[in-house]
Amino acid sequence: MLSPIIIGQVIVNGLSLSAIYVLIALGFTLLFGIMRVVNFAHGAFAMLGGYALYYLYGKYALPYPLAVPLAALIVAVLSLVLETLVFRWFYQKMFQSMIGLLGLNMALMFSSVIVWDVYERSIPPAFSGVLRLGGLILAADRLMVIGIAIIALLAFWLFMTKTRYGVAMRATADDVEIAEAQGIDTRTIYRLAFLVAIFMTALAGGLYAQIYALSPFMGERPLIVAFVVVILGGMGSIPGAALGGVILGFTESILSTFYGAAVSSFVSFGVVIALLIFRPWGLLGKPE
Amino acid sequence: MTDTTSETVRVGELGPTGAFERKAQDAGNHRVRNLLILAFVAFAALWPLVHENTFLLTMGTLVALSVIGATSLHLIIRTGHISFAHAGFMGVGAYVCVLLVMKLQLPFAVSLAGGAAAAAALALLIGPVVLRLTGKYFVLVTFLLGEIIRMVFVEWTSMTGGSNGIFGIPAPYPALAEPHAFYYFALAAALLCVGFCARILTSEVGRAMDSVRESERVAQCSGIPALQLKVTIFVIACALAGVHGALLAHFLHYVDPSSFGMVDSLNLVVMNVIGGMNHLIGPIIGSVFLTILPELLRGYVELQRVIFGIILIVVMAALPGGILELTARVRRLLASRRS
Repeated sequence: MLSPIIIGQVIVNGLSLSAIYVLIALGFTLLFGIMRVVNFAHGAFAMLGGYALYYLYGKYALPYPLAVPLAALIVAVLSLVLETLVFRWFYQKMFQSMIGLLGLNMALMFSSVIVWDVYERSIPPAFSGVLRLGGLILAADRLMVIGIAIIALLAFWLFMTKTRYGVAMRATADDVEIAEAQGIDTRTIYRLAFLVAIFMTALAGGLYAQIYALSPFMGERPLIVAFVVVILGGMGSIPGAALGGVILGFTESILSTFYGAAVSSFVSFGVVIALLIFRPWGLLGKPE
Repeated sequence: MTDTTSETVRVGELGPTGAFERKAQDAGNHRVRNLLILAFVAFAALWPLVHENTFLLTMGTLVALSVIGATSLHLIIRTGHISFAHAGFMGVGAYVCVLLVMKLQLPFAVSLAGGAAAAAALALLIGPVVLRLTGKYFVLVTFLLGEIIRMVFVEWTSMTGGSNGIFGIPAPYPALAEPHAFYYFALAAALLCVGFCARILTSEVGRAMDSVRESERVAQCSGIPALQLKVTIFVIACALAGVHGALLAHFLHYVDPSSFGMVDSLNLVVMNVIGGMNHLIGPIIGSVFLTILPELLRGYVELQRVIFGIILIVVMAALPGGILELTARVRRLLASRRS
């Protein structure tokens, strides 16, 4: 049962799932940590990322390394309209944001049903071959996903730690009033954080849609993933989102390989509920 | 979340009136309110007589049934928790009742009680644990819990029939096979449920619930056993949700997991939010609104969902108190005009 082929598959699947989950959860945790918004429309943005990649790569056949970031960027920039129209009203209002953004999720999901119909599409894989490494057989497209995610996460980390805007963003997350007193334009920082968060979500959505399938309802799974990962790691904690994503990715990869998808969902939900009850602030979060 | 729920409409705000005048005004308000309730009940009772259309009758039955679900969720909301697993409890009630009727051939009344008891038992099991959580954590846990319950319905094929569900559920009693009879049955159930919730909310228990919602710690200092109270209300509300599910299954003659997922829990929450979360009338307005509007836009299911979403956004951004807050604002405006 534990042949090298299966082990290799479990590891590569685990890593690529982790990579997507971390990207999705980072966007979610960023919106929560800085604006105190629980983004129930998160899955919808991932879905839009999927459609953007479908058009740029599948239809207009742009080169893959260009299509992936461009698709995410287009979704993020267009979403700034939604930031002005919708999100702005819900900043620092946790409860209203949950219900209001559930509404946004519904509106976006069914608008895309109207535009693109319900049937599932597929984005052609960028690479179809396999890589042989010793006894291991690794699928090339999964490795590609891992590579893209690592680049994105590295860029995000550099942005948050090395640039002025990144530092300003962390200051705003810590304390809005003190950040403003230091001369930080928090309104701009909010927009920037929103842009970054949606960029990563749309990027992950594109990769997710390419591995699985693209439909207006594909956002449900990424939304639940974002919840689970962020609760695991701690709401608003960036290292927590990374840790939670890796834990969930590998748990799912291992459990669904050996026991099936249903068992894996039951276990991960059950663990999260147990964690919420005994340690609601998550593994790396701070208790309130 | 206390900032949204504390905006209850206060009668005393209507103007700088003396105690005597205010009392008279209160009595007047109560008379208006009683008349309105009477008119509403009379309208509901006469509804099947004004037309011959079975479609409208079905709508009436569905509204009456969803009033049960929405008002029971309202009880939980009034203790300061928003449960996103309510449709899951509906499903537990529905499946248990249906299985008791169809597999064990028990009479409907016993099965209905069994369904409600099963939902209540599940609530009693998890309530003491999850009700310790506050605000967002409670929402997230119940969200996942609802998904787990739905997954159990899908996966436990031997009992629940999996995604296909169970078909051919008989009418509760032969007499209730006739749509008019079922309408009055559902209406009676809804009125009983609303009356029961109103009795709880206006009693000392209701005031204790309000105080727990506004500040749990202060309530505890005043000697209210907060957790015990919340668990009791949660169990009662989930039992009523089970009744809703069981009646719905017997009305539609089938059950399947897709009626008890996240969307349905969300619908019940939306009924409360759109109607107004601070008063029992809110969920009633909400369930009338949310059951009828989809049917009016039946040909445009997607568009209707988009409109729903936009309504939700607008209501949460501009009117966190729902339609009730709108009427209160209009009344206040009129009052300020008059003086």
